[in-house]
Amino acid sequence: MASSGAIRMRPAVMGVVVQSCRQAAKPSSLGPYINTVALSTTASVLKRHTYKGARDTRDHSKKRGESALRRTGTRWRLSMSDEPLPIPVPREELPFVETDPDHGLWDFFQDRKTVAQAPELDSQHGRAWQVEELRHKSWDDLHRLWWVCVKERNRISTAQWERTKSELGFGDAEAKTRDREVRFSMRAIKHVLTERFYAWEDAVKLAEEDPEVDLSGKGTPYTPSEYLEDELDGEAMYEADVTAAEEERNVKKAEPASAPAMIDPSEIPASKPPGEALRI
Amino acid sequence: MQPTSSLLGRAMRYRRLRLTTKDVNKGFYKGTGTGTIGRHTKHGGFIIEWEKVRSYVCPSLENFKLTPFVTKNVKKTFGEYEDRIGPKNPQLYLNRWKSENGLD
Repeated sequence: MASSGAIRMRPAVMGVVVQSCRQAAKPSSLGPYINTVALSTTASVLKRHTYKGARDTRDHSKKRGESALRRTGTRWRLSMSDEPLPIPVPREELPFVETDPDHGLWDFFQDRKTVAQAPELDSQHGRAWQVEELRHKSWDDLHRLWWVCVKERNRISTAQWERTKSELGFGDAEAKTRDREVRFSMRAIKHVLTERFYAWEDAVKLAEEDPEVDLSGKGTPYTPSEYLEDELDGEAMYEADVTAAEEERNVKKAEPASAPAMIDPSEIPASKPPGEALRI
Repeated sequence: MQPTSSLLGRAMRYRRLRLTTKDVNKGFYKGTGTGTIGRHTKHGGFIIEWEKVRSYVCPSLENFKLTPFVTKNVKKTFGEYEDRIGPKNPQLYLNRWKSENGLD
C-alpha cells in the first residue's frame, strides 16, 4: 500500500522496528500513505545510516559519485573525516628532480628525451665486423668490443620496448637490422676466440718440438735462432739503430731543404721487423 | 555408445605436447638450460659451489674507439691462406706468438 514511501529493510530489522514502535501505524503528519514506523532513526536500531539530503536513488548504490581519481572525498562521514589530512601537491608544482648527467644508466638510452631514436638515425650504421678483421685483435680489444656490442644491444632493446609501450610508431624494422649487425659482430668475436683457443692447444704441442721455444718455465721462453748464433751482434745492432735515429733527427733540424747525403747500403744496420699495418 | 569428448578433445592434444617443468606431480625434473650452481644436501638444503657460479667482468671502456660496426666503405676482408687448415694452423699461431710476445 504505502510501498512508494516505505524504505525496504531486512526482515530481522523490520521485526525489531515493529516491536519497538507498537503504538505506531497511525497516519503521520507527512501523509496518510507514509508509514512512519519504518522511519525510526534510533541508532541502535537502524543499521543503515543516512545523511542530510539523501534521497532514494533507483540503484541504491552507496558509492555513487565517489571517485579517488577525481578526489571527490567520501560520501559518508568517516572517523577520520575531521582530521586535517595533507593535500597532495599538483603535478605542475612538483619540484624539479636533479639527475646526474654522467650516470651510467643513461647508456641505456639512444636519446635522452625520447628513449628511442628516429628510424632514419637508427639505420645509419655500418656493417658487422668480419672474422678476418678481428683475428688480428688482442684479447683486451675483443673483450671490450664484446661489451660495447652488449651495451648497443641493450640500447636497441630498450628502444624497442619503449616504442611498443608508448606507441611511438615505426622503427621496428630498422632496429632489427641494426641488432642483426651487432649480433654478427658478436658472433665473429666468439668465432675468433674459439679458433684461437684451438690453435693455441695445437701450438703448445708444436712448441714442444720447437728448438727455439722453451716451455719448462725456467729461462726465456723464446730465443730466436739468429740470435742464438751471435748474441753480441744483436745488442750492437740495437744501439746502432738508436744512434742512427738521433742523427737523422739532427740532420733534419739543421738542413731541412738540403738533398739527402749519399748513404752506403752496407753501413745501414738491419732494422727490426715491420710492425702490424694500421687497420682502417 | 558415445566416446567421452575429453578423451578425443583437448586432453588428447595436450598429451602430444612436450612436457614442461610445470607438468607431472613429482619426480619429474626438467632444467631450463641455465646449468648448475651447486649441489643439494641430503637434508634438503643446497650448497653453492662458487667455482660454478658465473661472474661477468666488464672491462673499462674509457678511450676505447672501436664500435660494433665497420664502415661500409671498406669491403669485407676474407683471409688468404696457403693450406687447407688456413687460420687454424698452429704454426701460424706460434709464429705470431714469437713475433708479438716472445721477446720483451
